[in-house]
Amino acid sequence: MNAVVTATGLNKTYKNAHALNDVSFRIESGRIVGLIGPNGAGKTTALKAILGLTDFKGQLNVLGFDPRTQRDQLMEQVCFIADVAVLPRWIRVSEAIDFVANVHPRFNRAKCEAFLARTKLTPNQRVKQMSKGMIVQLHLALVMAIDARLLVLDEPTLGLDILYRKQFYQSLLEDYFDENKTIIVTTHQVEEIENILTDLMFIRDGRIVLDTDMDTVGERFAEVMVSSDKAAAARNMKPLDERQVFGKSIFLFDGADRATLESMGEVRRPTVSDLFVATMKGTYA
Amino acid sequence: MTITWNDSVPIYRQLRERVVAMILDGALNEGDPLPSVRQVAADFQINPLTVSKAYQELVDDQLVEKRRGLGMFVIDGAREALLRSERERFLREEWPALYARLQRLGLDLKTLLREAPESATGNEGSQP
Repeated sequence: MNAVVTATGLNKTYKNAHALNDVSFRIESGRIVGLIGPNGAGKTTALKAILGLTDFKGQLNVLGFDPRTQRDQLMEQVCFIADVAVLPRWIRVSEAIDFVANVHPRFNRAKCEAFLARTKLTPNQRVKQMSKGMIVQLHLALVMAIDARLLVLDEPTLGLDILYRKQFYQSLLEDYFDENKTIIVTTHQVEEIENILTDLMFIRDGRIVLDTDMDTVGERFAEVMVSSDKAAAARNMKPLDERQVFGKSIFLFDGADRATLESMGEVRRPTVSDLFVATMKGTYA
Repeated sequence: MTITWNDSVPIYRQLRERVVAMILDGALNEGDPLPSVRQVAADFQINPLTVSKAYQELVDDQLVEKRRGLGMFVIDGAREALLRSERERFLREEWPALYARLQRLGLDLKTLLREAPESATGNEGSQP
């Protein structure tokens, strides 16, 4: 497998906060990686480092380039959608297309226009006349028409309604993603991407606290619903988390023996949000 | 399309079961193409690898085949093979428990046939 991103010992401090604290990870080609963490955990700093938008200490290789010194070459292969609107309010759809066509060598105008034809956007429309969902549609159309190997999405669906959110990921899977492309996405809406991801990374206080592929999540972690008479036995097995539902206890285990768990109650795979809550316990306390 | 996945079974297995049900119901006929991996991934908002894994199991079970450059197709005889294995599975796994329950309730064949829903009795001369 060839690595798209290799990070070793990344460190970044702002005045008094450690935004990245000895962060190391590796992302392979053809993966969809979810980078999940609470506010202020270092997600955006990590993405900015990958995109060459911030300085840092440590080693980072993105598609064979060092983002600090080879940003121009890197940008031909990388696309980015941020949670903050970056399209100028005065620009028209047609002008935005012309602009990207002029600055980006790997932009496919026909593909962009075909995608926009399936939306309600018209060439003369200005960004300031659009809803937030429409702006994201335009942004996505511009980005998906660029044949980039790495797509970085920072809270891409923040503030969108359910229809636009679903359509966003549907378009990505239908018109963009293939085994030669790689997507890194951060979001707080984990339930809408958890089946799309191939890999999961949790970041907390500038550290990667979980880095695994989704198949392993299903093998490693298990939730078991236990009636009160067996709760003490379950508690002895050192669960990551415990919560009460309808007089029963739900325990979340990391690496516990399947057969033992099944003898105690109904076992199921935890959702990413359950796992997240258990892992991040005490973050704001 | 929105469907709810069950947390206790991997999604690729559930997807496989859906295709199996579609073949048994005749929604997918022998020789029909399966929807593309990309299409299924986009429609259900799941990772393409998950879809590929489900399709690969169907290939391993000799229910569908990959035709180079064209995609996946339901094999001739897939429905028959499925019916056979599903009947065997029913007789092995479900029938003993069902039979025991019928015995316990004292239900005989005649009563059961009389009470059978009209749509299910068919025309094979099984009138009481």
